Amino acid sequence: MPRVLATQSHVVHGYVGNKAATFPLQCKGWDVDCLNSVQFSNHTGYGMDKVFGTCTSANELDLVFKGLQDLNDYDALLSGYLPNREAVACMAKNYQELKKKRPQSVWLLDPVMGDDGKLYVNEDVIPEYVSLLESSLIDVITPNQFELEILYGNKVRTVQELKKALQKLHEAVPIIVVTSCSFELFKDPKHLYCVSSVRGQPATFYRVPVIDSYFTGVGDLFSALLLDSTYISHAAEKTPGALDINQVLSIVQKVLAITLEHSPNDVKAAMGSPLTMKEMELRIIESRDCYTSPCSTNDFIYTKL
Amino acid sequence: MTRKVLSIQSHVVHGYVGNKAATFPLQYRGWDVDALNTVQFSNHPGYGQFHGFRSKAEDLKSIVKNGLVEGLGLQYDALLTGYLPDPEALRQMGSLLSEMCESNPNIKWILDPVLGDNGKLYVSQESIPAYKEILKRGAVFLATPNQFEIETLTGVQISDLNTLKTAVCRFHELYPKIEYVVVTSVDPEPSISDFMLCVCSDRSSKSAQYFKIPKIDVQFSGSGDLFSALLLDTFLSQSAETRDLARAVNEVVSLVDTILLKTLQIHTVQNAQDKSKRINDLKIIECRDLLGVKVDVKYSAFEL
Repeated sequence: MPRVLATQSHVVHGYVGNKAATFPLQCKGWDVDCLNSVQFSNHTGYGMDKVFGTCTSANELDLVFKGLQDLNDYDALLSGYLPNREAVACMAKNYQELKKKRPQSVWLLDPVMGDDGKLYVNEDVIPEYVSLLESSLIDVITPNQFELEILYGNKVRTVQELKKALQKLHEAVPIIVVTSCSFELFKDPKHLYCVSSVRGQPATFYRVPVIDSYFTGVGDLFSALLLDSTYISHAAEKTPGALDINQVLSIVQKVLAITLEHSPNDVKAAMGSPLTMKEMELRIIESRDCYTSPCSTNDFIYTKL
Repeated sequence: MTRKVLSIQSHVVHGYVGNKAATFPLQYRGWDVDALNTVQFSNHPGYGQFHGFRSKAEDLKSIVKNGLVEGLGLQYDALLTGYLPDPEALRQMGSLLSEMCESNPNIKWILDPVLGDNGKLYVSQESIPAYKEILKRGAVFLATPNQFEIETLTGVQISDLNTLKTAVCRFHELYPKIEYVVVTSVDPEPSISDFMLCVCSDRSSKSAQYFKIPKIDVQFSGSGDLFSALLLDTFLSQSAETRDLARAVNEVVSLVDTILLKTLQIHTVQNAQDKSKRINDLKIIECRDLLGVKVDVKYSAFEL
């Protein structure tokens, strides 16, 4: 069984962070070592006054890493939400050691900093991610457009500018998947656009139909499935361009469809409204069979750059 | 509706004990598992060394009380509690979970009173009266002590079938509100017996049954946590009118035995040189297909 170390948030109730990533990966046959960067009652979309629990301090994280360094060689490394600069630095230091010990392992970093123009971590987190990327040890990053702009250092207003940003970041990272593009790029309210770009190859745009509700944890599910897909293509020594983004998107769309099926008809989740949020937690468990059965793969390719 | 369980146990990053042993099997069987972690360790202490930290009593309490119960109004079908090393946290969670069950009798609490094993206590002495108090209060539906734990909770030393029976009767006398008890890993005469016993007793029937399970000459970690999780699912999946604890226990010990044997087989192939007689990690992921199929029972019940 391949083994992945996943460092991100843990919520007792609901499915974001490690709770969204772990079960699908386990169903796909991964041993998932989950290192929890926080333990919260639920995700923050319920409203900050509804979140209880604590962040794992950098010292505590480092302590746990110390135990892990002696134990394992990981086939893959995954990281997502880390609450502050110290935690990012701690992950960065320890993951670099693990990656150097086993260079063939696949490292996917989701540089979780914010969305839609809003930062939800402290500003001092930014330079940590920027300098970590420069290590050139990371195989895949999955920023949304806002995070891409932060890492690039400039706004991206057109497809041409996006191309430039990808080129720049490819100096350090071979695979970049921009998980959601801003509206102004395509001005198409009916679809969400994502871009997959492998160094030295033309980038591919994908689009999926917009579902009019507020889901959380979708990005975490996406990056977990993408990690699996990247690992499989590396293991098969295919060209990295053979990434099966369509399959990843198909599973995610299926999970969203199952989530909607299970929610009451009239509920549309909204930020800060606990009762509607509760209904829109991803139905990760009910979707068990989607992860393994070769579900019909849709072709979401929109265009190549 | 997907059934919901709140599971309060330890978390290890690597390996399968506590919540890591319980969560995946329950999820695979369709439970929404709200996993509250009482500690976060790199691995379990059986490795010889480990690093990590405990959650604070007040954090655990506020997550459940202010977050899950009052904030989100969650209604659980079941509660599962295991390793809770801080006696203060144990007392606080004990009274909070008891209140939850008392205000909603549909919640079934499966409690594994984790104190120690093989004659050794591995939590603080103060945890003993804390567990006794929880059991006396009576909100627990089913308790799953091992031999050492039932001895500690009843004061009866088990040296043969007679004293085993005495311990089970004493448990029902001391904790008359607890409906069901299952005693795991009973081995009254370790040097001469080839079997481990697993006993189940239901306070209303005035009788107890036991199963004889052939010993495997290897030490595993996490099998007790896997057992209590699978028992939760198996027992609570029966209809309330025809509840049959012995049947549920037989299915679960049979499945756990199969998983242990498969773990041993995989371990032996991967580590041909290892003669240590101890296997640190159950192969839960490799065994996932076994979790989804009907279990063939392997054992016969004997009257105690």
